[in-house]
Amino acid sequence: MLSMLPQVLVDGLTLGFMYAVVALGYTMVYGILEFINFAHGDLFMVGAFVGTEVLLTFEALGTLEGMNPFVAFFITLIVAMAITGALGVGIERVAYRPLRGAPRLVPLISAIGVSFLLQDLVRFSEAIYRNEFYLNSPQLFTGSLELGFATVPQKAIMVMVIAIVLMIVLTLFVNKTKWGIAMRAVAQDQSTASLMTINVDKVIMLTFLIGSSLGGATGVLFAQNYGTIDPYIGFILGLKAFTAAVLGGIGNLRGAMVGGVIIGLLESLSGAYMGPLTNGAFGAEYKDVFAFSILILVLLFKPEGLFGEAVKEKV
Amino acid sequence: MEMNLLKNKEVPLLFTVLWIAVFSGALYSLDKSVIAFMGVLFSIILVYYTKGSNLIRFALGAAVLLLIIPLVAGDNRYYMEVATQVGIYVAMALGLNIVVGFAGLLDLGYVAFFAAGAYAYAIFTTSQANEFIPGDFFPLSGEWFWPFLIIGLIVAAIFGILLGLPVLRVKGDYLAIVTLGFGEIIRIVFNNLDKPINITNGPQGITPIPAPELLGIKMGTPFYFYFIVLFVIAFIVLANVRFEHSRLGRAWIAVREDELAAQSMGISLLNTKLAAFATGASFAGIVGVIFAAKQTFVDPTSFTMNESIAILVMVILGGSGSIPGVVLGAAFVTVLQVQLLKEFSNFLHGLQQSGLINLPSQLDPSKFQRLVFGVILVLVALYRPNGLIPAKRKKDDIDSIKQSKHFGEQQGILAKVAGRK
Amino acid sequence: MAILEANGLTKRFGGLLANEDVTVKIEEGSITAVIGPNGAGKTTFFNMVTGFYEPDGGDVILDGKSIKGLRPDQIAERGITRTFQNIRLFKEMTALENVMVGTHSRLSAGLLGILFNTKKVRQEEEKARVEAYKLMEYVGIEHIANEAAGSLPYGLQRRLEIARALATNPKIILLDEPAAGMNPRETVEMTDFIRKLKQELNLTIILIEHDMKLVMGLSEYIHVLDYGKKIAEGTPEQIRNNPKVIEAYLGKSATEAS
Repeated sequence: MLSMLPQVLVDGLTLGFMYAVVALGYTMVYGILEFINFAHGDLFMVGAFVGTEVLLTFEALGTLEGMNPFVAFFITLIVAMAITGALGVGIERVAYRPLRGAPRLVPLISAIGVSFLLQDLVRFSEAIYRNEFYLNSPQLFTGSLELGFATVPQKAIMVMVIAIVLMIVLTLFVNKTKWGIAMRAVAQDQSTASLMTINVDKVIMLTFLIGSSLGGATGVLFAQNYGTIDPYIGFILGLKAFTAAVLGGIGNLRGAMVGGVIIGLLESLSGAYMGPLTNGAFGAEYKDVFAFSILILVLLFKPEGLFGEAVKEKV
Repeated sequence: MEMNLLKNKEVPLLFTVLWIAVFSGALYSLDKSVIAFMGVLFSIILVYYTKGSNLIRFALGAAVLLLIIPLVAGDNRYYMEVATQVGIYVAMALGLNIVVGFAGLLDLGYVAFFAAGAYAYAIFTTSQANEFIPGDFFPLSGEWFWPFLIIGLIVAAIFGILLGLPVLRVKGDYLAIVTLGFGEIIRIVFNNLDKPINITNGPQGITPIPAPELLGIKMGTPFYFYFIVLFVIAFIVLANVRFEHSRLGRAWIAVREDELAAQSMGISLLNTKLAAFATGASFAGIVGVIFAAKQTFVDPTSFTMNESIAILVMVILGGSGSIPGVVLGAAFVTVLQVQLLKEFSNFLHGLQQSGLINLPSQLDPSKFQRLVFGVILVLVALYRPNGLIPAKRKKDDIDSIKQSKHFGEQQGILAKVAGRK
Repeated sequence: MAILEANGLTKRFGGLLANEDVTVKIEEGSITAVIGPNGAGKTTFFNMVTGFYEPDGGDVILDGKSIKGLRPDQIAERGITRTFQNIRLFKEMTALENVMVGTHSRLSAGLLGILFNTKKVRQEEEKARVEAYKLMEYVGIEHIANEAAGSLPYGLQRRLEIARALATNPKIILLDEPAAGMNPRETVEMTDFIRKLKQELNLTIILIEHDMKLVMGLSEYIHVLDYGKKIAEGTPEQIRNNPKVIEAYLGKSATEAS
């Protein structure tokens, strides 16, 4: 049983890095607007479809074969990030911004609506264009690295490398650039920030741009790693990424990353070992239950998460 | 002007009566006309806004529901079947209205309680229960349907409290995502609880569930279910109305409006939210029992997040916290789902068969559900956040307060003033 | 005898000591003011007494019994209620219903009683409604009983919030800046009104206020907080002449100059 542990850990890490990048989108938006962007998981899904369509187009044109897989991969990534980023900004402008200051439930309801809308829009477009909405993504990286104790597929290495690069770039951006500092200021105190001549609307737009494009990029990684995608992949993955954000301490970038990796590892471990440990009574089908239970436990016993500070209520 | 007529309950009685006559006549003669059916349903809304005493309105409403719909419901009472479906959703939406509308708790896993009721009835009225209870006591007969209305209520309420105890301690927006997760957990559990002990029979589901039975009469037809549902709705509406302006209803709304202020008024957040959760859950539980008996089959696919969102759409569209609004929202969304989209889809299929258009099967409008729900949610949030019929608090009759026999008494802190003078 | 004692209350937020070892004794039937510059920790002190924050150290004793660690609703039931700095009414409810909410913990109607609309529940409701209306009369706002609370002008909202607090039948009421945003005439009215609460209802009143005229004219005893610590206490006369207080408000240079 222990012999499969290294493989389980590799799978868990791959999954965890994807959760981590999607969790960043939740955490950034929550940090600034105290709002759960329900549609964020679906932006991830859109990214997966955009990326897959780009690759399928290359394939249809016959250019994919001669192309360096890294070049193809980066083009895919850039296009997916650009489109999901723009989509995120558009959604904020149309469906969320008019509701700032409305009672707390109203923007949440709008976000649930957007989430449903995106799922069906993608399904329709694919149904019209390809007559089906389950897509198989062309695989760019098929080799794997034999480590003896575990097999690490190339695509998993790409997932981890890209995820780490994205997280480093984001951290540098938030800490070192003028706009990053503005974002942190708005997250701390919107009204004071606006008094300091920070354009709050622009900062919020930027937050959605970055968060959504990170989600879109993860979609591309997902399609590469798992091969098959459908319009509903965003829901469960989004829920788990949100769990990761909460576990790390919502609003905290580093927390989202660590939280994502932890959730990925736990899910992989529980999927592999729950069955054997309970003599088959509860198998891998309960791994989602496991992830959600973590969400509830964290919210109950450590709502500020691993890295968050206990917030005082505004009385 | 149209709106003012409605607002002030000034639709002339004659107009309402004519409306009812025309559309019920139409439904009777034009078999399966959706428009006529919707006209008949709408007449109930119209009755609500008709000028006249409560007694007249009540009599008119009862006549439409108890006499006219059963009489004109078409071949094989097709529209009684549809009306029953509408009724099931109306009842569930009214239950969710207590949770979302009154107490302001965004529950995205509401269908779990519906499932609890449905499975409770399904498991014990089939041989399924023999799988985990030694002996051969099951299946129970359809006569057990009636006690199971109460048992379903209690089972769902217990579910509500067990889920609520951890979940309702969670603050604010997190509740939405936690209930969403819990809804999924319940579905996964029902889907997999065929081992180690077979309780739910897993993905195969449970069948055959018996129809209700009373004094030897089997009540498996739409005709009977229609009246059963109507009876349950009457009970749930009554409960909603009574709760709305009660100690508990005020506490729910206080918690919705401002948790901190509510606490400083001596309101326990957890108890108050639990009461809302359990009450809402128990109504879903009753409806679940009816659903199981009507379908004769349950499996986990009937209890997905889509269902939870559908019920939420009904509440939000109609008017969160508004009883007539929620009834309207539920009726509209259900008719849209089971009738309009299907009609539209048949229409397109007709075109396709005549070779006019080429429609991929994935584009079948009967699968438009998510799109339609998404559009409704966004549009309502943006342009009509209080719904089609916004909730309004009842004004108190000041004169009757002054004439109360208690008006001369000094209660509460004011007793101290009297004591000093 | 002291009805309320706060002994060495301490509250930390991250690295910030919002209250440090604050000890305050409140006499029954008195009007006490808690004053201090912005950010001195006055509202934090209120929040600990009413259970919204759990103290990191120290104790709160009501009528000789500790109420530390109780929830706000439990503390309200034991007779301490409050108003809020930035008025917190139930906006969608009518004014009368807002006051009726205050009677919540003295009513007993439960789920089943309400569902079956029992005689007991009906009677209780009627009494509560009458009591709420009479409280509104007492506060002088019965003419707005049926208005939605959120649509009322500011001054009436303040009074409604007090009427709602009175409906809990408190022994102690904590008023967080009751005269904030009021013009001089309204402030005088509020001052008279608070005095009436004490005299007629034998209420113990603790208030936070920045309007020094109101504080000096109304309170019998004053506690001064600065940077989370209590720096002085005494009668208005003593506080007026306390150099530490003057320094806290005006800065060190002011005391040196005078």
